[in-house]
Amino acid sequence: MKSREQEYREMFMAEALEYYDAMSRHISELERNPTDEPALNELFRFMHNLKSNSRAMGYNAIGELAHHMETIFGLIRSKEKSFTGSVVPVLFTGIDTIGEMIRAVGANEDLPEVGRLMDNLDRLVRGEEPVLEQEEEDDEDANRKLELSDLVYIQIRKLDHLMNLVGELIIDRDRVLTLSQEIGNPALVAAATHLSRIADELQYSVMDARLVGVGSLFSKFPRVVRDVAAAEKKDVELTMTGEDIQIDRNILQIITDSLLHLVRNAIGHGLETPAEREAAGKPAQSHLTLSAQTERDDVLIQVQDDGRGINVESVRRKAVERGLVAANVAATLDDDAVRAFLFEPGFSMAKEVTEISGRGVGLDVVKLAIDSLGGQLRVESVLGQGTTFTLVLPTSIAVKGALLFQLDQRNYAIPLMHTDSVVSLMPDNFNVVGGVLITRVQEENVPVVSLRKLLHNGDGPLPPAVKADVQGRQDIIIVKYNNRRLGLVVDRFLRQQDIVVKPMSKPLDTIDLFGGVTLLGSGQVCLVLDVPALTRLFLAKRP
Amino acid sequence: MKNRILIVDDSFYMRTMLKNMLTDAGYEVVGEAANGQQALEMAAATKPDLITLDVILPDNTGLDVLKGIRQEQPDVKVVMCSAVGQEVIVNEALESGATAYIVKPFSEEKVLEIVGSALQEAASDQA
Repeated sequence: MKSREQEYREMFMAEALEYYDAMSRHISELERNPTDEPALNELFRFMHNLKSNSRAMGYNAIGELAHHMETIFGLIRSKEKSFTGSVVPVLFTGIDTIGEMIRAVGANEDLPEVGRLMDNLDRLVRGEEPVLEQEEEDDEDANRKLELSDLVYIQIRKLDHLMNLVGELIIDRDRVLTLSQEIGNPALVAAATHLSRIADELQYSVMDARLVGVGSLFSKFPRVVRDVAAAEKKDVELTMTGEDIQIDRNILQIITDSLLHLVRNAIGHGLETPAEREAAGKPAQSHLTLSAQTERDDVLIQVQDDGRGINVESVRRKAVERGLVAANVAATLDDDAVRAFLFEPGFSMAKEVTEISGRGVGLDVVKLAIDSLGGQLRVESVLGQGTTFTLVLPTSIAVKGALLFQLDQRNYAIPLMHTDSVVSLMPDNFNVVGGVLITRVQEENVPVVSLRKLLHNGDGPLPPAVKADVQGRQDIIIVKYNNRRLGLVVDRFLRQQDIVVKPMSKPLDTIDLFGGVTLLGSGQVCLVLDVPALTRLFLAKRP
Repeated sequence: MKNRILIVDDSFYMRTMLKNMLTDAGYEVVGEAANGQQALEMAAATKPDLITLDVILPDNTGLDVLKGIRQEQPDVKVVMCSAVGQEVIVNEALESGATAYIVKPFSEEKVLEIVGSALQEAASDQA
């Protein structure tokens, strides 16, 4: 959780420590060459900045000391004083004390006592001799501590590499655990269990290091909203919540364009002009909300407007016009199913293409970006009241919950993100409608297909299903994508497990039915199914 | 139209704080410069409506930057940012054509008040 206060504080600390380091360096240069003008200017400038920044943060004790120090450096600069004699040890002590104060602030400790130092600085300003202690006269502080900043900037590339290594480690951890259980040596099992715990902790630490506040992306939107609203002649008030919600930095990077698109879309097409709103009996100023929240392991990001809402009937009409669905089928679809057409390639609701919302980029592109993360994109809308787009995102890219199952003695995994439910059904639960096997799950008709046939049928359409195909109990995974459910018949359910998905290597990376591979503890390779691609394949090949 | 502002300060912390205050209030921050050279280049490139200018900068003093900018862009409003104890420089800056000054540490209200009235002055110049 990082509030703006905390960000300021971290920024202040990082910069203050930098100033302290630079001042320590410059005062040593000045000691070697008391007329070194650049060093003197820099000392003056850093002291000045430290004073201003400390006061802005409310660290008035540091500000006060820095102000006194700045005054003396100012006098030396204007040649009213020289950097010689008793001035030297007092200023050295001053800079050391400033370092101690900055560190104390950083560690939330009490600040050091500076009464005598301030008194000496006052004496110097008045042209009196300071009262020095023995060690200051000795001029050498043998115990001076070296301090480095607590903050490091790190390239995301290095964190990516670390994450990949942790991924490999997790796979080996599972393998070692499995082996140790097979061998059954208690000492080995204990060691493997310990290794497993440490690997888990390491994984979470690395994942944690990659988390950033959603606010770092949200903060760019007030400006976007103002610009787009001005261009579209809309009066928009933006509200943002949940800026502190943490998410993997790369996920945030990938959704940046999607969020931008959704916000532009909302202002360009979702929201009405003030005149239109007043005519509809709504307040002239429209509201746009960007919010983030966590839901179990996922992060939900919502773009919500109080605009005209999505007209389901015009989406339905347009879907038919575009040939996305047959007219008689379209008439039977419920509102959610109709709104799902918004995410189909080439479907664009904008009557006219405006400068802001761009040309040719539709919600399908947003959907693809979210899919690539294993996330989901949802839309809810009430005509006349507004529209809400919800991005359901994993907190971290690397590890996914998955359902493992077997087909033809091979292991496969399906990400839980796209798994709706798992059912085991007897043949009398199935009907055949139009060559497609249908079953009822939770009051809804769901098409069911043999995964074996879907994967191995070649390019042509699937042969029409007949009831005789269904022999004995059927294990079915119901997957859900873009509001469509589909039942996949598999041979055997295995278990639920966290997996590390690795991209497929060439030449297999062209097979888009698989999102990647993972290695199981047994050392077996397991293909990870890509539910969006499978759903599209089923729609293309259904008889 | 939104007013466009260039921030000149050598402290990252100070720039960030100013930027947050100004963007939160609806201004567009068109750039941030950390030294005099950058300030002159960015002022020429972005043609801002207003510049907040720190009086003490690494290469030039703020005063030199002010004079440089004034030569190129006589209409731009310049608000000097100073700390207590720099009254002499501030006075010289005002004589050299600075529009106003703010004394650090900034309060958000004060910053917005001074920036707002400097820009108002700009608007009435044009009218």
